[in-house]
Amino acid sequence: MTNDSDFKFCEMWQQGSGEPPRFTPEELRGRITRFERTIKRRNLREYLAAALVVGIFGYYTWVFPTLLLRIGCGLIIAGTAYVIYQLHRRGSTRSAPEDMGLRSCVEFQRSELARQRHALSTVWSWYLLPFLPGMVVFLLGLFEFTMQVSEAAGRRFPIGAAIAGFGLVAGCIGLVFFVIWLMNRRAAKNLQAEIDSLDRLTRDPA
Amino acid sequence: MASREDLYEEAVRTHGAALDRLARAYEFNPDKRLDLLQDIHLALWRSLASFDGRCSLRTWIYRVGHNVATSHVVSDRRGRSQHLLSIDEVDVADTSGDAEESAERSVAMDRLMSLIHELKPLDRQLVLLFLEGVDAAAIGEITGISAGNVATRIHRIKKILTTRFQGGARS
Repeated sequence: MTNDSDFKFCEMWQQGSGEPPRFTPEELRGRITRFERTIKRRNLREYLAAALVVGIFGYYTWVFPTLLLRIGCGLIIAGTAYVIYQLHRRGSTRSAPEDMGLRSCVEFQRSELARQRHALSTVWSWYLLPFLPGMVVFLLGLFEFTMQVSEAAGRRFPIGAAIAGFGLVAGCIGLVFFVIWLMNRRAAKNLQAEIDSLDRLTRDPA
Repeated sequence: MASREDLYEEAVRTHGAALDRLARAYEFNPDKRLDLLQDIHLALWRSLASFDGRCSLRTWIYRVGHNVATSHVVSDRRGRSQHLLSIDEVDVADTSGDAEESAERSVAMDRLMSLIHELKPLDRQLVLLFLEGVDAAAIGEITGISAGNVATRIHRIKKILTTRFQGGARS
């Protein structure tokens, strides 16, 4: 890598790039402050969204007439609290690890890809599943309440139509969950392919 | 062992210009580029607290620089869904301009920068380290790529550069 032509490419690349910008300690500290502010804003948005869900379903727990509906609302609140805790714990915006210089580029990239793959493959258990019990109980409560109201009004709701209607809603929710799971699985598979190709680079070709 | 402040000063003095070129090669947008460069300096400054001389300061600086820049490319790519190429997928012969035009240094530099921006992070690291004059053994240590793979890829990089930019390098 020391022949004349290589040297000329290196010279072309390196010449005339001018004086590089320098950063004072104050500027670097300011960067840390801005980063921390971004994290705080993101956390605040998550907490506000969670507070809204808890507020709405808390109000429903108070006003809804049947026990099943109230239990459903309570479970949705519990699921929201669990998801918020997990989001906070797994926060994706992180400052650069201090051991960055100890790890080669392949090692670093591999660990980042593995972290993303793990987050994707486990998202089902910590982001979607916690809402499921609340949604199922809430739907059953809604079904029970509809039947009670129609009976009290003296016009019995056709059971077949009621099951079909609620089955459709449950099916739509299930489909959304399934599509999210499928997309995450595909993304995790792509990440694994990238990890495999990085691993191949660390070994000499046979 | 020198203090973190001393190490950082030395890093900026010896490799400040290389880090600036590195940021240019990873980000076109001038504002984002300055942010990226500041991120690299911040990560370098923080990381030097754990520098224990197990590798050279040069290896440490390039690892931090490329790792921060790679994270930047990966997170930015998520938004733009840009398909990045491996060095094996790049055409050796250039189709975007003629060799005479490339003889002019500024044109050659623009086209070289465009080529680098199309590459996947690891191939980008290889090209940049080669252009910074880092030898194959050190490239292997910085990137973690095996010696055989470094040699194969550097050979291809040279072939592409020679075919496309011989004129610009001569002028």
